[in-house]
Amino acid sequence: MNRINPIQQFHKHIHHLNKQFLRGVKRKYPINPKKADELPVFQYSPSKDTYKRVFTWGNAQTGALGLKGLIDKEVLSLRYPKRMYVGERFEVLSAAAGFGFSIFAIYSETNVKLYGTGLNTDCQIGYHEVRNGHPLEVIFYPQPIHLPFRDPEHSKVLKVVAGRAHTLVLTEEGVFTMGNNSYGQCGRKIIENEDYLRSNFVNHIPDIDGSKICDIEAGQDHSLFLTEDGSVYSCGWGADGQTGLGHYNNTEELAKVRGDIENEKIVKLASRSDFVMAINEKGDAFGWGNTEYGQITLPNNDQQLSNPTHIAMLNPIGKIKSVASGGSFCLALNEKGEVYVWGYGLLGLGPVQLTKKPLKIPETLLGTNDFQPTCKVKDITCGLYHAAAVTNFGDLFTWGRNKDCCLGLGNEKDQHFPLKVSLGGHVTNVYCGIDHTIALCDPFI
Amino acid sequence: MVTEAPLIWNNLRGIVCIFKPAEYSVKRLRSALIHKLCQDMNKLEVRPPIDYVAIEGNPSNKLSVSIKPNLADHPLVVGPRYQEQDFVISWSNFLGWNTSGVLLFGLKSGTKQAKYIRENKSARAYRVKGILGQATDNCYRTGKVIEKSTWKHVKRGHMEKFLSAMQASHQKKMFELCGVDMQSETAYELAVKGLLRPANSKIPVIYGIKCVEFQPPNFTLEIHCINEYETYLMHLVHEIGTKLHSTAHCTALQCIRHGGFTLQHALLMKHWDLANILDNIAICDQILRDTNSNIPQQNATLV
Repeated sequence: MNRINPIQQFHKHIHHLNKQFLRGVKRKYPINPKKADELPVFQYSPSKDTYKRVFTWGNAQTGALGLKGLIDKEVLSLRYPKRMYVGERFEVLSAAAGFGFSIFAIYSETNVKLYGTGLNTDCQIGYHEVRNGHPLEVIFYPQPIHLPFRDPEHSKVLKVVAGRAHTLVLTEEGVFTMGNNSYGQCGRKIIENEDYLRSNFVNHIPDIDGSKICDIEAGQDHSLFLTEDGSVYSCGWGADGQTGLGHYNNTEELAKVRGDIENEKIVKLASRSDFVMAINEKGDAFGWGNTEYGQITLPNNDQQLSNPTHIAMLNPIGKIKSVASGGSFCLALNEKGEVYVWGYGLLGLGPVQLTKKPLKIPETLLGTNDFQPTCKVKDITCGLYHAAAVTNFGDLFTWGRNKDCCLGLGNEKDQHFPLKVSLGGHVTNVYCGIDHTIALCDPFI
Repeated sequence: MVTEAPLIWNNLRGIVCIFKPAEYSVKRLRSALIHKLCQDMNKLEVRPPIDYVAIEGNPSNKLSVSIKPNLADHPLVVGPRYQEQDFVISWSNFLGWNTSGVLLFGLKSGTKQAKYIRENKSARAYRVKGILGQATDNCYRTGKVIEKSTWKHVKRGHMEKFLSAMQASHQKKMFELCGVDMQSETAYELAVKGLLRPANSKIPVIYGIKCVEFQPPNFTLEIHCINEYETYLMHLVHEIGTKLHSTAHCTALQCIRHGGFTLQHALLMKHWDLANILDNIAICDQILRDTNSNIPQQNATLV
């Protein structure tokens, strides 16, 4: 009997299956490979080096998002980040988020180096009128702000900061201040019953006692200036000691902040509300202002501190790279990229809590895991009730109270731990306002 | 080597890890495996036909009782002793027509384990090859070219930057999909643990995506994911091309890992025989016991 070899039979079986299955994709019109050669080759290119994508989200009613369409559609708040036209039209260098208004610093060779949008109750984003004597109190679309530059072609805006209703602009020609000056926060003389809406007064501070200003920071109603030699000057509202001048009065002239930081070279200042934090070049942290939420624990249960004090409880966490100070909590970032929080509120460690000791936010919440072990927090910042962290991978994490969807996570709920914001870009800078947030991003390519 | 078929038949149960070639459907692979197993089993010492007891004669007279060979049980009458319909085999992960790589089959009572592996949603790793410059209508190399573009401006840095952003966005999705209220204390506790498995089995989640080889226009991605399917991965490559200001299509897909099973455990088709398959079942059983993936998992953390 002629027996079939089982292996042959197996291959026969496979062959039979081949016939049955190996037919490939059925197409009504078969592909003609020649057609592909006839197609044009599109030429795309990478973006310009200076191009930045600008995203905004949060409260849309104030106009601070600068998105005209939202007002027409009666959108109250934007839950997701949305790209803004300012970044597409100009080279955005920096931005600032105030209390209901936004300012963008752009590169230009004219007097217009700033664009502002949002609330303009105190002329904090410049004087804009529809007709003579009728200035606009709210602006829904970024408008140019003219600053009196001496040499507009060669001057550049270095930094913009915004407080409750005043704006500070750091340029190569010194600092320009605009807006509300009822506490002296613009660094000029307080005028009784001044009509800020119509006064359109831009104050120019070229330098402080001959030394150049290299950094600025705006709290709620006070301003801080950092000079090149590392000394700090302040002016404005001082009821909680946030000017750090050893008294609780308002200051209209810039005065040097003394206390523990007198002989230190300060490199960074942070203040969003009424507590100020500063770090020196050695990485030590100092603080002054309102400490009612345990930002600094004082021996006699005092809640105000008008003298800058070294925050000794931060010594164990190592050299501090960056700090942020919100309405009721503080954040510190050390060299290793670890984020510490203390104070009161949604600190990013689960439900609301009060802690007077710095607690570490687990790295796993800020993007470190088996698949990206080298992820580190690069920068931290915060608004009044929410905080944000940017990692070296260009991811933005936000947490805290979701006032008018300022977290940008797509919902209206408070976020108890850091969560990534979905953004179409590599985040470089974040600016948190009271109820809106601005992110500057590099394009992916 | 045991030559008695019933003994081997009893041991032929559990998970077997197979290498699936591309352009070969899982269904066809399953029937080929069954066919091969049947052939090999029938070559062994199979059960002889059971003789039957014949009681013959006139009932009023003396009856004769005798044992006679039973032709009704003879392989030439009833067919081979082991037949294709006797094998119960199911797959625990499905790979598409164009995908090659690790495929797990559950044999007989192992189908239950295959089900648990599927329901436990262990992560899979893929190596996906793509090419820049052309976009096709099905996002694979077999498709019709619909757009051509330049690709010289795409550098490795661009690719890595975009992939890391994509990875982080998908990892955010996993918190939303783990089936816990984001406001609760439980959500925080889970989030601290790190990577989580989705509660839903339909929405793809990517845990890791990185470029392991970049020789423009060719590139290779390594993707760790759950709930993915072939067309999803192909479209992912297409999307990456678009986001990098160019076009791209996928050229090859390979599943390199499924839970604890890697390519080195996968049995090639040419090595399919009873000895190898039995060895493979033993190895797979050990892996399953090490990783606890043969029992239903309640924990949301990724295994």
